[in-house]
Amino acid sequence: MKQIIRNTKAYYCVECGKCTGSCPVARGNEFFSPRLIVERALSGMKQDIEGDRELWACLTCEACSKKCPSTVKYSEFIRGMRKMAFDSGFTSRCSQGGLLHSIQRIHSIKDLVQDRLDWAKDLKTSKKGEVLYFTGCLPYFENLFSAFVSPIEIAKSTVKILNFAGIVPAILQNERCCGHDLLWTGDSETFQKLARLNTEMIKESGASRVVTSCPECLRTLKLDYADLLESTGIEIMHISELISSLMKNNGIKFNRSGIMTYHDPCRLGRHLGIYDAPRDVIKSMGELVEMGNHMAESSCCGVSAWATCESMSKQMQVNRLIEAKSTGSDTLITSCPKCLIHLKCAVHNQIPVEKEKVDIRIEDLAVAAGKALAGD
Amino acid sequence: MQQVKRWLVIEMKSMLVIGGGIAGIQSALDLADRGFHVYLVEREPSIGGHMALLDKTFPTNDCSMCILAPKMNECNAHPDIDILSYSEVAGLSGEAGDFSARVMRRARYVNEDKCTGCGECRARCPSKVPNEYNSNLDTRKAIFLPYPQAVPRVMTIDKDHCIYLTKGKCGVCRKVCSAGAVDYEQEDTFVDLDVAAVIVSTGFELFDPSQMPEYGYGRYANVITAMQYERMICASGPTSGHLETSPAKQHPEKIAFIQCVGSRDMQHNPYCCSVCCMHAVKESILAKEHYDESQSYIFYTDLRATGKGFEEYTARAEKDYGVQYIRSRPGQITEDAGTKKLTVWYDDTVNRKVKGLEVDMAVLCTCLVPAKGGEKLAKILGIEIDESGFFENMDELTSPLDSKRSGIFIAGYCQSPKDIPESVAQGSGAAARAAEVGSA
Repeated sequence: MKQIIRNTKAYYCVECGKCTGSCPVARGNEFFSPRLIVERALSGMKQDIEGDRELWACLTCEACSKKCPSTVKYSEFIRGMRKMAFDSGFTSRCSQGGLLHSIQRIHSIKDLVQDRLDWAKDLKTSKKGEVLYFTGCLPYFENLFSAFVSPIEIAKSTVKILNFAGIVPAILQNERCCGHDLLWTGDSETFQKLARLNTEMIKESGASRVVTSCPECLRTLKLDYADLLESTGIEIMHISELISSLMKNNGIKFNRSGIMTYHDPCRLGRHLGIYDAPRDVIKSMGELVEMGNHMAESSCCGVSAWATCESMSKQMQVNRLIEAKSTGSDTLITSCPKCLIHLKCAVHNQIPVEKEKVDIRIEDLAVAAGKALAGD
Repeated sequence: MQQVKRWLVIEMKSMLVIGGGIAGIQSALDLADRGFHVYLVEREPSIGGHMALLDKTFPTNDCSMCILAPKMNECNAHPDIDILSYSEVAGLSGEAGDFSARVMRRARYVNEDKCTGCGECRARCPSKVPNEYNSNLDTRKAIFLPYPQAVPRVMTIDKDHCIYLTKGKCGVCRKVCSAGAVDYEQEDTFVDLDVAAVIVSTGFELFDPSQMPEYGYGRYANVITAMQYERMICASGPTSGHLETSPAKQHPEKIAFIQCVGSRDMQHNPYCCSVCCMHAVKESILAKEHYDESQSYIFYTDLRATGKGFEEYTARAEKDYGVQYIRSRPGQITEDAGTKKLTVWYDDTVNRKVKGLEVDMAVLCTCLVPAKGGEKLAKILGIEIDESGFFENMDELTSPLDSKRSGIFIAGYCQSPKDIPESVAQGSGAAARAAEVGSA
């Protein structure tokens, strides 16, 4: 624990309370306070932290660490504390009854054979190539959440856009979960297995560029696979960055329609600092009206790593949708499959406000861009 | 030019003071009273610095301008002080006791000797510009006097916004000037001054809080800076002394003061600006004095009331003016898009509870950072600056006002964070140190 405190500079904490004052979870969950977890860690209360169910309530959204006056790396601190707790036998309360984490663990089996490319049969893809599209868990999400959302459309639209630009992307027959969720819920051993399996396949594909449509895959490949991919020089980018560069360099254009607002995913925004690329794309598709809380101040969709889904999550989603609706936009664009699922889930389920306050169309950036391609 | 002739016949030793805020003014007056001739160089059109923009001073609630204006005028009237306003130091050679300084006198397109400051030109000028002297709360004209008490009381043309100077049309100010003072042909000129010693007192500027998006400055109309608050509550300010919310133009009932905005923050400025605790206390007292129904909340990190009478002042604010102190750095300010009221989200670190406080106005007590151009000036003068941009002294304990170059002294905020009384004390101290060089 001392090592985690040192690595994340938690010992710099001056108890100013800015983290807890920034925390969207703490506003609804009186038992959760980022500052108090640091305080307990600094007091050496290891067992107390490990057994605390609120250790898993943090969304690692970085709303706090982005503004910490003492530059404590809070999300890394939480990640370290969770690993410590996991190693002592404690686990998060996984939403969906633990199903998603189970699938991710199954993915770490070396000889696993998947049937996951059915969605791509009408599109141009290959086994090897310059550009690799790292699909992520979209085929699995499609099966789990089809009652109210179709996540696989994100993959289809991404490849459609790539094809339109003359790119035939490689997709992996046996791609594994990137390991993001397990890494952020303390299971770093399984994460390492997944990371090694994926990096081997990525290297074999011959790709010099990997495109993701999921900001969590992007963050994981870019930052958490850094050791494994370091020497390869492979460029890893989000689909919004690729579309933005295709607009500039290949003259790709979109049909303009409507007013849109944009929800920054935590991983794409605060974690990686990618704010402009998705906005460039939206501005070429229509008018962009920002919500009060945008860019670094964007609020989280309420769930992270499938570790938490509670009344507070629903409240955050509802608040975000009310904010989006009040901009007068007809579409809320996001660029993360999980944000899409969580925000749509809120509308789909029973919520404590009238439906008309939150019934804004919610669409993924790649899907919206795929539909709006000019000359398609 | 008449003044140039006078510089040539000077026989007594001269001194150069760079920066005409309260510290520089004090240095200039002390030196001139000792019989030295002083060149007081000021970058802005008027001397006075930031003190001229404040409403009151802590901990006595004295009118800031009432204390400062007589000193400004004394500088102007003193036979041994030459104010070189709208000017910057461009070079320095020589050594202690025998420096030669080159000063660039920026063209103000108004003849200082002819202008009477009557304001007829300003009344007729069609070009409106955000008024930086009122923290951009209102507009000024392209030909302007920073504020009514400006010294020297002469107009200046802002060449970037003057229609004649940018487009070659208009010329109204020249037409209406009965003194014939407007001169569009004026150019920047350089003068060389022989001086025995130099005092640097270039002061500070304010940290831009839009770098901290969590507080919504620039996005939410009722989030303002403490300097904007000073201008609003000042009787000669843009709202004639009324605090007004936007867009309702009502007196704010609940006001939150957020301290340490950009200071004591390793992402911005690590140091304590040393004044925001006390000016927030002052400003919250003023709110209550203006509007009895007002309630102020001060969000502090540590209440640093270290000066003479400061502790008593903070206690009085709580007891007599009902100011509430809350120990927390707020994490975020959100706005209700309909009512424009703000919610300050904070961790009450005493009660360990997260709370949202609804207020009508939030005042950001921003950090004071060394004035722009310090690095360039340090190079010109051959002195050093530290990692925060303050001029380095020889030794913090034994020679705090001596720069690392003999004959050059530093005073006021540019030396280290401090308040007005300390700046004045350093202004006098630096003058005494400079006088020693001049008497050698």
